Amino acid sequence: MSQRFAELSERFMALEPQLPQGPEREALSVLFAMAQEAWRQQGQTSPSEGGLEWLRNLYKSAPKMEAAAVNPGLPVGSPAPDFSLPNAQGEHIRLSDFRGRPVVLVFYPLDWSPGCSQQLDLYQSELAEFERRGAQILGISVDSIYSHGAWAAVRRIAFPLLSDFHPKGEVARRYQVFRENDGFSERALYVVDGSGMIRYAHVSPYLHHVPPIEELFAALDALRR
Amino acid sequence: MLYRTPTLASVVVYGTRWCAQSQLVRRYLERLGIPYRFVDLEEHPEAVAQLRWWTGGYASHPTVYVGGEVLVEPSLAELERSLMRRGLL
Repeated sequence: MSQRFAELSERFMALEPQLPQGPEREALSVLFAMAQEAWRQQGQTSPSEGGLEWLRNLYKSAPKMEAAAVNPGLPVGSPAPDFSLPNAQGEHIRLSDFRGRPVVLVFYPLDWSPGCSQQLDLYQSELAEFERRGAQILGISVDSIYSHGAWAAVRRIAFPLLSDFHPKGEVARRYQVFRENDGFSERALYVVDGSGMIRYAHVSPYLHHVPPIEELFAALDALRR
Repeated sequence: MLYRTPTLASVVVYGTRWCAQSQLVRRYLERLGIPYRFVDLEEHPEAVAQLRWWTGGYASHPTVYVGGEVLVEPSLAELERSLMRRGLL
């Protein structure tokens, strides 16, 4: 069955150059897409509304966040401002607690939003890679500790999410990534070395852009050379 | 399944380098050791027309082609099912 479907798909795809633009071509394209979607549903139950999977996918239908960056961020080579912020359990975490090992600071706009859900999923799936490099990853946004706790539980995020909630965005401001008109931060990454210096800095040119993760690994690897 | 499709070049990821979901999908395939081709839609805008043809005009990233199956923004669970259906996993 799967083989037959694949063969028919290949035949359809190969017909493209022979079809002139127009409503017939569009209709065929729509029909093919419908067949693909139906096929994709094979053997899967759609998540029940209000369930965990449904909640996890909610970001897919949430309003997009795609504005251009308005802040430059701090440059590489400058000392990383120390801070103390609460995690989801209400424990205060200091940047200087991690002296002696690299820290990845992930400033992101908001819990539950589309880009942030995808970005933190990516980092969660790569936790072993961060650990292998001896690096501590810390997420920071202006959300409350309770939002952080619920969001981390839903997305199964195991690294600390810190709450830059009051005074709102103060730490993001010190790292020159706070968007005053929006009330949340840029999407920005900093790699801080064991002595507290910024060794990699990246402010996403657009809020929905996440830099290639290999770039982050390369920055961490460079610290060990 | 008696018949196995050739695995080489039968998985293509259409995406961008800055898209988190594209990165998630690529890293997942790499961890599984499944060979795939990556088509950067910013470097190859001509590929967008092909995607539109396959998706009823909906070109988004990542779109993953798995030996005749077209998956628009798949979850890793959906991708896994597709790879298993095609005998790649």
